[in-house]
Order: sequence, then C-alpha cells, then structure tokens
Amino acid sequence: MVSVINTVDTSHEDMIHDAQMDYYGTRLATCSSDRSVKIFDVRNGGQILIADLRGHEGPVWQVAWAHPMYGNILASCSYDRKVIIWREENGTWEKSHEHAGHDSSVNSVCWAPQDYGLILACGSSDGAISLLTYTGEGQWEVKKINNAHTIGCNAVSWAPAVVPGSLIDQPSGQKPNYIKRFASGGCDNLIKLWKEEEDGQWKEEQKLEAHSDWVRDVAWAPSIGLPTSTIASCSQDGRVFIWTCDDVSSNTWSPKLLHKFNDVVWHVSWSITANILAVSGGDNKVTLWKESVDGQWVCISDVNKGQGSVSASVTEGQQNEQ
Amino acid sequence: MKLKEVDRTAMQAWSPAQNHPIYLATGTSAQQLDATFSTNASLEIFELDLSDPSLDMKSCATFSSSHRYHKLIWGPYKMDSKGDVSGVLIAGGENGNIILYDPSKIIAGDKEVVIAQNDKHTGPVRALDVNIFQTNLVASGANESEIYIWDLNNFATPMTPGAKTQPPEDISCIAWNRQVQHILASASPSGRATVWDLRKNEPIIKVSDHSNRMHCSGLAWHPDVATQMVLASEDDRLPVIQMWDLRFASSPLRVLENHARGILAIAWSMADPELLLSCGKDAKILCSNPNTGEVLYELPTNTQWCFDIQWCPRNPAVLSAASFDGRISVYSIMGGSTDGLRQKQVDKLSSSFGNLDPFGTGQPLPPLQIPQQTAQHSIVLPLKKPPKWIRRPVGASFSFGGKLVTFENVRMPSHQGAEQQQQQHHVFISQVVTEKEFLSRSDQLQQAVQSQGFISYCQKKIDASQTEFEKNVWSFLKVNFEDDSRGKYLELLGYRKEDLGKKHIKEEKEESEFLPSSGGTFNISVSGDIDGLITQALLTGNFESAVDLCLHDNRMADAIILAIAGGQELLARTQKKYFAKSQSKITRLITAVVMKNWKEIVESCDLKNWREALAAVLTYAKPDEFSALCDLLGTRLENEGDSLLQTQACLCYICAGNVEKLVACWTKAQDGSHPLSLQDLIEKVVILRKAVQLTQAMDTSTVGVLLAAKMSQYANLLAAQGSIAAALAFLPDNTNQPNIMQLRDRLCRAQGEPVAGHESPKIPYEEQQLPKGRPGPVAGHHQMPRVQTQQYYPHGENPPPPGFIMHGNVNPNAAGQLPTSPGHMHTQVPPYPQPQRPQNGWNDPPALNRVPKKKKMPENFMPPVPITSPIMNPLGDPQSQMLQQQPSAPVPLSSQSSFPQPHLPGGQHFHGIQQPLGQTGMPPSFSKPNIEGAPGAPIGNTFQHVQSLPTKKITKKPIPDEHLILKTTFEDLIQRCLSSATDPQTKRKLDDASKRLEFLYDKLREQTLSPTITSGLHNIARSIETRNYSEGLTMHTHIVSTSNFSETSAFMPVLKVVLTQANKLGV
Repeated sequence: MVSVINTVDTSHEDMIHDAQMDYYGTRLATCSSDRSVKIFDVRNGGQILIADLRGHEGPVWQVAWAHPMYGNILASCSYDRKVIIWREENGTWEKSHEHAGHDSSVNSVCWAPQDYGLILACGSSDGAISLLTYTGEGQWEVKKINNAHTIGCNAVSWAPAVVPGSLIDQPSGQKPNYIKRFASGGCDNLIKLWKEEEDGQWKEEQKLEAHSDWVRDVAWAPSIGLPTSTIASCSQDGRVFIWTCDDVSSNTWSPKLLHKFNDVVWHVSWSITANILAVSGGDNKVTLWKESVDGQWVCISDVNKGQGSVSASVTEGQQNEQ
Repeated sequence: MKLKEVDRTAMQAWSPAQNHPIYLATGTSAQQLDATFSTNASLEIFELDLSDPSLDMKSCATFSSSHRYHKLIWGPYKMDSKGDVSGVLIAGGENGNIILYDPSKIIAGDKEVVIAQNDKHTGPVRALDVNIFQTNLVASGANESEIYIWDLNNFATPMTPGAKTQPPEDISCIAWNRQVQHILASASPSGRATVWDLRKNEPIIKVSDHSNRMHCSGLAWHPDVATQMVLASEDDRLPVIQMWDLRFASSPLRVLENHARGILAIAWSMADPELLLSCGKDAKILCSNPNTGEVLYELPTNTQWCFDIQWCPRNPAVLSAASFDGRISVYSIMGGSTDGLRQKQVDKLSSSFGNLDPFGTGQPLPPLQIPQQTAQHSIVLPLKKPPKWIRRPVGASFSFGGKLVTFENVRMPSHQGAEQQQQQHHVFISQVVTEKEFLSRSDQLQQAVQSQGFISYCQKKIDASQTEFEKNVWSFLKVNFEDDSRGKYLELLGYRKEDLGKKHIKEEKEESEFLPSSGGTFNISVSGDIDGLITQALLTGNFESAVDLCLHDNRMADAIILAIAGGQELLARTQKKYFAKSQSKITRLITAVVMKNWKEIVESCDLKNWREALAAVLTYAKPDEFSALCDLLGTRLENEGDSLLQTQACLCYICAGNVEKLVACWTKAQDGSHPLSLQDLIEKVVILRKAVQLTQAMDTSTVGVLLAAKMSQYANLLAAQGSIAAALAFLPDNTNQPNIMQLRDRLCRAQGEPVAGHESPKIPYEEQQLPKGRPGPVAGHHQMPRVQTQQYYPHGENPPPPGFIMHGNVNPNAAGQLPTSPGHMHTQVPPYPQPQRPQNGWNDPPALNRVPKKKKMPENFMPPVPITSPIMNPLGDPQSQMLQQQPSAPVPLSSQSSFPQPHLPGGQHFHGIQQPLGQTGMPPSFSKPNIEGAPGAPIGNTFQHVQSLPTKKITKKPIPDEHLILKTTFEDLIQRCLSSATDPQTKRKLDDASKRLEFLYDKLREQTLSPTITSGLHNIARSIETRNYSEGLTMHTHIVSTSNFSETSAFMPVLKVVLTQANKLGV
C-alpha cells in the first residue's frame, strides 16, 4: 500500500522542483521556481514551517541534506548558477556558503557518503561538475571537472562508501581505503562514472551509453552489503535503465531496460533498502518498481497524489509491457 | 554558447526529433555566391556529437547536387524502410522544383539518393513545411501565389489549398498549424498572410496590418495556442514581429520591436512556447518571449547577418544559425563557458606549426594568442528565464522509514499562457508498505513476546510447518518453555523414558522366571582351583586379590560385584580394567556413562548417531556442562557433517541455547536475503533468546556480532516498511556496535516526538542534550529546533555521538598523521569537553558481567573524582576510574570552528575521533596511559559534574523508610543464597550482585525512580518473602519491558541474577 500520511501545503508560489526528507525523515525541504527553499517539521503528520530560505535569484532545482553528523546542513542549487549551503545554528537557518563557480544553471547537488567528510558534487548546464570539500574554518575547497557533459550535466549521484575487497567494516583505527566514485548524467545522453585518483584528481572512469536523449537523472543504489553495484538512470527518451556491475575491478556495466515510458522520465529514487525504485515521469506519474525473483523489473504500484495500491507480491505484479 | 561550426553558405535542416543521433543537413543556398563564384552545389549531412568537445562537426556524407536550394526541410515521414536514418529531406530549388532525398542513402554514400522530383512550381520554391499530424503532407509555396500540398505517397499530383490569392505574389513563408491539422498559413513579402482551411479548400482569413510595411520573412504558428501566430518583417522601416490572434484579426495582439533592422528569419521552439528566435539585419540573434515581448537572451554572434535559424527538434537547448559570411554555427542557449573550447582551438593552431620550437632557442613557443577571441564573451550567460524543459515538474523520492515524498505540478491548460497560479503546491508524504506477510508475521512474533505466549506461538508454528525439519526446530524451541525440558527433548529425539522402562521390566520378568530359586544351602569351597583361591581371598577380606582373580579368570560379573563390596576405589579400578578388556559395541557408551565422560561421546561418536549422542547428553550431562556439550555436538555436525547434518546442528544449538551459533548455522543453510527468510530466522532467534532468559540464569542481553547484524538487518527491513516502533523493539538493546547505535538513533528520531514518559534514552545522542550535571534521562528536551540544532554540533557541549565515530576516521590524509604515542594522545584530550554521554557502550550490564572486577557505574551517578563512598568503588581499582573517563574521550571535531573538521589537514581534531575507537577495541591497554596522565584532572562537563555532585555523595541520604524493606529483603535473600551456594562462581556472582544493588539503593535514596518501578520492586520483594521466585521473575520481566532502560539498567539485570539463583538453590 502507498498511503498518504501527510499532505504538506508548501505555499510555494510557483512550481515545486524538489522535495527531500532529512536523514531521519522528520523534516522536509522543498524548493521551487519561486526562488525559495522551505523547511518543514513534518513529524507526526504535522507541518510546521521552520525556515523560508531566500537567497537564490532564480528557480531552485534541487535540495540535498547533509548527514546529521555534520549538523543540520542543506545544499540547494539554482538556475541562478549558484549553489548555496544553508546551515542551522541555534535554531535559525542561515546561508553558510555560496558557491558561484558555474556559468550556467546548476541542476543537481548531491552530498558524498558521510564517511568521506563534507563533500558536495554539483552538476551544471555549463557542462561542468564541481566538487566542494569542506576543509574547516568555513572554507570550502573547489575542484572542477570541466566539460563533463557537453551542454549540460543534469544529475549527480554518489556511490555508497564501500571499501574495496572487504564488505565488512575494517578494524577500527585503521584508515578505510575508500575509493570515491560518483555518477553523472547529461545532455550528451551519457552517464559517466567518475573516480578520484590517488592524487586527488577526478578522472572519468566509464561512459555508459544506452539512452538516446538527455539523461535526466541517475541514482546510485544504496549498498546492501552485496558485491553488485547498481545505478538507475532515466532519460528524456522515456527509458529507465538499471545498470549493474558485478565486479568493481573489471568495471563492466550492463544495462537492463526497466521500462520505456511514453513521456520524459525526470527522476529516479531508490528506497533505503535498495529494493524499490520510484520513477517519476513527465505525465505526473509516479510508479514503483521491484525486481522479481527471475530478475525482471516489475511495476508494483502506480502512485497518484501520494496514493496507490501495491501488488501483493512481485510475481503477481503486472509485467511491464514488453 | 557556441558548440559547433561549419564553414558553409547553406540552408540547414535538423533531423527529426525521433532520430538519434542528431544530424544537420546543409544544402548550398541559392542566390548567394562567395568569393570563388563557384556555382557548385552540394548536400551534406553532419552529425552533432556533443561528447566531442571540439568545434568541428563530423561530416557524415556529401552529395554533389546539381541544384542550389532556397529551402531545405527534413520531415519525419519514412518513405523507404531501409536504413537507420528516419525521414525524408525535402528541398526547394531555384527552378520551381521540389526534390525528395533519402538521407539514409546519402549517409550510406549511395549514388541514387533522389527519391522523387517535381518541378510543377514556377519560380524558386522558398517556402516548405511538413504537417506534423500527417507527416506525409508537405506544403510548398513559390511565385505567382502558388501553393501546393504534396502527398509524399502520391508525389506526382499535388493539391491546392484553394484558389490562388489575387493579386499574384511570391509566397515567402508557409506553415501548418500546430494544433489543427487542416489549417495552413502562408505569407508573402507584401505583408499579407492568408489562413487556409483544407477541408473547405479555401482561404478563411487574411491577416494584414495595412501598413504596407510588413515584408513577411517569417511566419510561425503558436506551438500550443491554435489561433495565434507570429509574422516577422524584413523591412528595415518596420523591423518587428507581430503576434496575431485570429480571434481578433483586425490588429496584432502584440508587436515585438527588439530588432533595429529587418528580421530575416524566425523559429519558435516546440519545446517551450515562450522561446522565439529571431535574427535580423542588425546582426543580432535574439530569443524573446512572444507572449510578453521580453528579450530573454541575445546570442553572442559575430557581426554577420544570419539568414536562416533553426531549433534542433531533438535537443531543445540547441539551435543553428546560418550567416552570410558562409558559416553555420550551432549554439546552446544554456550558456556556459567557452574557455575549454577556445583552449582547444589555440592548441590546434599552435601545434599546426608542427614544431613548437622553430627557432631552436630550446624553449617552446608560447601558445598562439588569438586576440579577437579573448573578448568579453568568455562566459556566456544562460537565458534569463529557465526554459520549460529544465523545470522538473514531478518528483518522488524515498526517505527513511519507507516513506515516499511526491509532488506534482498539474497545470490547467493555460490558454493565455500566463496564468497558472491557481495550482496549489502540495507535497505528499506517503507510507509505502510492500511486505504485508512479513509485517504480519513480525507482528505475531511481537505479540507472542509481549504476551509471553511462547508455547502457543511455537505450537502454531509447529502446526504450520511445511517441512519436518522446520517442525523439529519449533518443537525443540517449544520444549524450552515446558517443564522437564530435557525429558521432552529426549522424546523429540525418539527416546521415551517410560518406554524403555517398560521394555526393561518386561525383560526382567522373563528373566526372573528362569532364575533358579535361591534359598538352598551352599558349600564354601577352599580348594586350590580358582574358586578356592577366590574363596580364600574373600574369607580373608582381601577384595583386591579376589577381584584380580576373577578378572584373571574372565569372570567379569563376579569381579564387578566384588569390587562394589570392596569400596569406591577398587570399583573404579575394576571398571577401568573391565573397559580395557571388554570390546563389545556399546562399550564406549557404557564407558562414557560410567566414567561420566560425555565429552568423549560427543567428540567421537559417529555423526550419524548425533541423535543418540544428544540424547545421552540430555540424559546425563550436568547443568553446567550441558550447554557446552550440545554446542560441541552442533559444531561437529556443522563442520564435519554433510549438508543434511549441518542443518541438524541447529537443533543442538537450540538445546545449547546458543543463539549466535544458531544464527550462524541457519544463515549458512538458508538464503537470508528475502524478508520472509529473515523473518524465519528471527522468529527462532527471538524465541530461543526468550527461552534462554527463562531457563538459564545467564544474562542474555549480550548480543553477538552475527546476531546483531541480523537483528539490525531485520530492524532495517521493518523500518523500511514503516514499522519504526517494531524495528526499535527488535533492535538489540545494549551493544556498542556503531551501526546498531546509528540505526537506533535514526529510528528514535524518526519516530518523531516520543510519547511522554517513554523516551528512548538508549541512544547516546539524546544524552548530549541533557542539561549538564543532571543525571538520568530528562523529559522536555523535545522542542524541535533545539533538539535538532544540538545534535552532532560541536558547540563544545555537544560532542559527536559515538555512533558516528567509527566513521570519523575517514580522512585519509589526516589519518596518516595521527599522533601514535598514547602520551601525546592524552595531551590532546583535555582541551575538549568531556561528555558524560557514551555510557551506552560502556555501562552495559553485559560489559560489567564480563569484567566484574572493574566495577563501575553510570557516570551520571558517580563523578570520576576521588572515591567518596567505599561502596561505590569497593575495590578501589584505579582502572574503574579510568573506564569511566574513557567514554568521555569522544570529543567534538572542533570546538572553535563552526563545523566538524574531519578533513582538517593538521589532523589534531581528527585524532580525537580515533581515540575512542582504539579504546572500544582494547580498553585495558588504553586505560594505562591515561592513568599516568590524567589523575584527577577531569575537565569540561565532567568537571562541572564534579563540582555539583560530590557534596551529595559524601553524605548519603537515608533510604526512605517505606523503601527500606526493599533493601533488607534483597540483602537477606543474597545472604541466604550465599550460605547455600556451593560453587565459588555462584558466590562471586552473588557478591557482585550485592554490590551492584547499591545502585538501586542510591536511586531509592535520591527518590529518582518512577512510582511504577518502585511498586514493581515492592511486588518482587513480596514474592521473595513468599519464596515464590518465579513470580518474582515474571514481575521482573514486566518491569524491564515496561520501564525505561537507562533508569533500570544498572540494577535490574543483577536483581534477576539473584532471583534466578534463589530459585535454583531453593532457599
């Protein structure tokens, strides 16, 4: 079942472009073409406006919560070419940092896994991806990947923090040898995977080609302790692909078509347990998908205004046409 | 931003939207000559490859044509099914001809690329358009008011839309309506536009502003609004774009006067009706909103005029413009930096000289500077208004707890294009539940645990079992809750005591029938034979010799009988000799039984006989060795047995009450990834843990690594289905495993405001919000913003929670620079406030059980200062002090900066995170250096603590009279137990218990216990008085399950130990 437990009237004066809950699922951040970012306390079905953040000079596309171990930090990106990092201190939210290093609309922001520190990846229509790393004392170090996607990067998504060669936490005290990776999708119809080299530079590691139009979103699935890495991508071409890589060292990714929709697919989001994918399409349709035992992706729910039923089991779910 | 350019003086046509990759076709334009005066013409196709960062466009094919073109369009209609490239290229030529080309053939390099040709028109064909509803329909316009409608399926005979307009004039533009398929518009340089209805086959309206200055160079229908169109004028005296609405055709709706000179071409974006491109003789390319007239963007162009401009149908941000300087440029309207591109060009130029050091100076030449390109346009701003296609209208994102956040922006079809405000902007938060069966089973399990209805739960499971093994497992589990569990286990293994007894009795009866009746006289022979010798020995009381003689004569029974008479020692020796001699099949069993060497059976029996071995253990083994033996058998089954036997090991572990091994064994055998199979495991584990709690006096709150992992996986699954409370209930209580602590914290917070009086202070983070110096969980810290601000933030008093500390050691740079000497480490610690918080990991009762000597208590109640109460620290062990200080080691990442600094290069903040890690791993070794460095120098929170608390401690308040009974009862009970306990282990336990009950007495003194707990304790005391310990235990369970963990954790486990011991000893 998909049942509405809270309907939040955001009072935004224009289109909403993103809505994200914090780590605990108790606060909701929204952003809109009305240039504002709002934060609501939504515990117990309530909706208390905590903050109405003004600072962007254009539509705000995305918001992203940092892990709470760093405090209450929210990043937002906008058509005004800026990324703003907002921070709550003593109960008030304020602008903590403004990143104006892009020449065009910044379309996507995503925080790295908390294990790496505070690192924010930003994808822009200027084709570049920038990485902001907090270095202390209110300072942010910027690294930029120019021309990552010609005429625009639409989405960035970090790979979960997994130590290569070991699925279990390393013994405490030893420094975990994380390899930082993220995926990006852009107007060149490509998904690219980026890896931080030992010298700290970011290098294109892989190009994933299957979409025939703009890649609208990419979502790296959370790690559930299995060796397989999974990425979902969606595109202007209506297709959603699930990319899997069984062996990180060989880095070969194979796509599987989840479905071809009749309209642009804007957004894909994995559940925390990485077994359900929410797909939002241009016709205002939200569908939930799950992989069946035989490896097929099956639509288990159509969500309309937050409501929907769920097919009792995957096997009973309607197979996707074709 | 310019993306690509091609040096051609040509008309251009993009491949249709459905075609991938994107192609641009160019056809040499008519009536334009360059300096070569060449009249050669060609049709070329280029590919737009945006992944190639260079400005060059990849040429795919060139076809030398005999025609030059006035107009080139690429329609989607597929005339030939061969080839990957869709559609048809339609060209308007100089001599009234219309030529159809097959683009796939052009790309394939085919010679025959013309599909059809028709020269019905008189004069150059300047206007062409494809009907977007019926893509086989093409409209064309030429001189003399000629308009033809071509059906590509029947190209030979064109139709006309109606009678020619008079007077005859050139048709400069033609366009199909974007909403109504049978409506067509045409326009001419005279400024008149005509709208045709093809169903009526006549012009239905004529549009003209009567100024006679509109010199129509462009005509476009509104992409969304059927009745609106724009006309562009090439006349320098009236360089405008008029927006007309046919519902009011007497004058233009709006006039866009953004160009200074005549407009040469326009293009209306199909992707966003608010974007209209226009290029004019003022050498500008503008993008305006025709609905408002506002200029949104001015393309950075050179000073040349553009005569043709086209949106790319597939990539809405891309457009192409053809200029009179013989160049076609491809631009993006999304702005962006051209630095990267220009750099490449410069490189190319430099390297084109071949030798970077032409003068042999030993220094390469600097890159060639290109002055005109270092102009002010290095950064190109995007459109003033975001185009429609990047405005995400819908979204659905998952968040913790199986919640789905969705929003949509359903718009009323806006006819005037402007009003869309009536929409309310809602975000829906929904609960997604996909695993109903899993949830209902989890619910049943929880109910069973709460109601203590274990037997009926197990029975239900037995009844529902699909496999024999499953049934066995549940039967074994059930037995745990029944009386005479061992006997029942035996029954389950197929051994029934009574059955054996019956058999035996029967045999005895039969035997007795054959026994010769005793009672007659017998003679004692003392002859020299063996009998005589034995007789002599017996008569002299020399049992030993008698036995030896019997053994020698192989009279085993006699030997044994005599040995019994000869006393224990002799018997034992005789038994040994007997076993040494005897070789029968069951000797080893008998040996083991007699010698009480169960280990031997378990270790060396044939694994096929595991049931028998288990039965033997069940029958004979002493309580204290029972578990270990079952364990051993299980381990053997697991390690040595085949797959079938391996699963049976589970049964042994159930008998042993070894939860951790059960989990390991089960996980090996089952696929645990599916929620229901995890549920299968958890059901068993939870029941077994309960059983172990009930039957064995051991503290079961310790949780092994594997079990913890499974339980947290289970809790995660429950949480993902929205069952946060259930997830919390199943999450192991007291463990300092970071992932579990994190999950617990997340769950607690996700629950929202906790119900008053039922908090979740088990999470360490909650503690840091406590007012300083105040012990115990504190209500009323739930004011939302407050709570949120404080967590994790290193404002000095808010150190990072230990749950996250594991992840603190992430900075690879900093980690390498860690100070390694403990002394150094210690010097680093004091500057940071020392929180009292992480008592969770350290003050667990289990931890105390493991190191009973290191007696310690929650810091909330005891300052780490010179010992003031002998009871509080009877051993005076300095280590206990150290242990209390250690938890305070987690320090804020930084107290001076506003953010934590895991990445601070210096690493000095960082090591603070590291230190507790080491301590968690090996407390004793870490406590040593601290002893040297830290005596009595607590600072920060602890210090305040010290100031506020000692006075209270020094003069202990008396226990209130009404509660004094509790102390006397418990102490009395411990004394009774002590006096009847025999083994030192139990005594030690009891000793420890009596010390640790001081916590309780302290709480009673302070009167900090809630009334429910104190009344529960009184109930237990009453049951002790009546010696009804099992009732006491039930009450105990009740208190623990209903009360706040941190409030009772210090003394309740130990009280349970006492009660259990009392029950066992029967005092």
